[in-house]
Amino acid sequence: TAMCSDKLQTGLLVAGYFIYLLVGAAMFQALERTTEKQEKMAAAQMKETFLQNFTHLTVAEMEQFMKNLTEAIQNGVYPVGNESRIEDSNWDFSNSFFFAGTVVSTIGYGTLHPKTAGGQIFCVFFALFGIPLNIVFLHRVGKMLSLLCKKLGKFLHEKGMRKKKIEFLTLLFFLATGILVFLCLPSLFFQITEGWSYSEGIYFAFITLSTIGFGDYVVGKQPGRNYSSYYRMLVAIWILFGLAWIALLFNL
Amino acid sequence: VLLLVYVGYVGLGAGVLQALERPAEVQAAEDLLQQHWELLSNHTCLGVPALQRLVEGIIQAYKSGITLQGNTTSLGRWDFSGSFFFSISAITTIGYGNLSPSTAAGRIFCIVFALFGIPLNLVLLNEIGQLMLLGVQHCAHHLEEVFHWQKKASLLIKTCALVTGLLLFLLLPPLLFSDKEGWSYEEGFYYSFITLSTIGFGDYVIGMNPDRTYPGWYKNVISLWILFGMAWLALVIKFCINFLE
Repeated sequence: TAMCSDKLQTGLLVAGYFIYLLVGAAMFQALERTTEKQEKMAAAQMKETFLQNFTHLTVAEMEQFMKNLTEAIQNGVYPVGNESRIEDSNWDFSNSFFFAGTVVSTIGYGTLHPKTAGGQIFCVFFALFGIPLNIVFLHRVGKMLSLLCKKLGKFLHEKGMRKKKIEFLTLLFFLATGILVFLCLPSLFFQITEGWSYSEGIYFAFITLSTIGFGDYVVGKQPGRNYSSYYRMLVAIWILFGLAWIALLFNL
Repeated sequence: VLLLVYVGYVGLGAGVLQALERPAEVQAAEDLLQQHWELLSNHTCLGVPALQRLVEGIIQAYKSGITLQGNTTSLGRWDFSGSFFFSISAITTIGYGNLSPSTAAGRIFCIVFALFGIPLNLVLLNEIGQLMLLGVQHCAHHLEEVFHWQKKASLLIKTCALVTGLLLFLLLPPLLFSDKEGWSYEEGFYYSFITLSTIGFGDYVIGMNPDRTYPGWYKNVISLWILFGMAWLALVIKFCINFLE
């Protein structure tokens, strides 16, 4: 029954973690979406006006336009492409969910960030409880993985290997497989899906898994590419297990 | 000694990154300016494609931290201050992203730098946290001796320490930011928390406004605040986790 309650606890933790992210995603979406829509419309309007009038504009007005454009871009509104993009939101549910994940894991890319005061305050409190939850969650996942390690170690010990050698081998094994699975293979994957070079992929993988998260490279943000809806989810799972792997390495 | 090693390590990183990144940055800024002037001189013959290109050019440049405004603060470009601040943002894993390496050499160096810098940072934060904890316990002992309280003293001291930390690291700095950066109190609070928790979106970064003058002590005080604030917040989160588990 000790094993049972342990498994139950872990199950509850996993469920609780995902529910927390789902709730957060919904909240962010609710708080941010309307403001975003307004900004997008304003930027599109500005572009429209420009295109209709530019032959009559003075140099000073051009300068002003470019200043406004730069400001819009700094606010995260990219008036590229045609009007149909207004319906795509940065704050649709799947993007908000991804955002919630980057908050609790402290990666914090910054390509998406709350602009309303309400969104910002909610973000602070969401992180205040979400970060410990994330740490506990990763700790649990790391522990389960390390149990696997111990089982493997026991098996080898029974076969007659010395303890020190087993420890060394398990460490090496996890280090090597981890680097392969979490750094090398994903970078190949990103080469296809994002069009990055292999080294850019490795850079992105490292910056993400170390939770630095500059935001200069983010998945799913290349203009003109079609991403399947499962893509983001797959990447999120990769991030999760990658972080758990790092936690495991710290434990070993 | 640890502190010296830490500062030395960050300084080393800053120097290298500056050497690697500054030339590329200057080049990119010039390119964007060139595009800008070409557009201005031809604007009566513009079409949608040219506008598209300009917008994409601005977006691209913006992602590398360059704006059409031309002038940047020392924290916003790859001179020594900017590189130093960048190095700190890398090894604390805050990762604002207002500056990020665009050259391949800069990126490789960044990875290696962070690989050793992050553990170094964790060790330092742990040390600072332990010192803080010791200080709090000392105070508790003193109070116990002077006033002959018993169990209550420990709880009182812990709450006092929590509240002082809260004031010092989360509630008072926004006032400083609202004066120096022109942010609202709420924005300053949001920035403080996002920084100290190492999330670091980069939507707000100190010292980036070229229209403002910052006093000489500003950057150093902020760096100290980040260090101690992170250590404090890490302690608080550790207690939260112990409580959860």
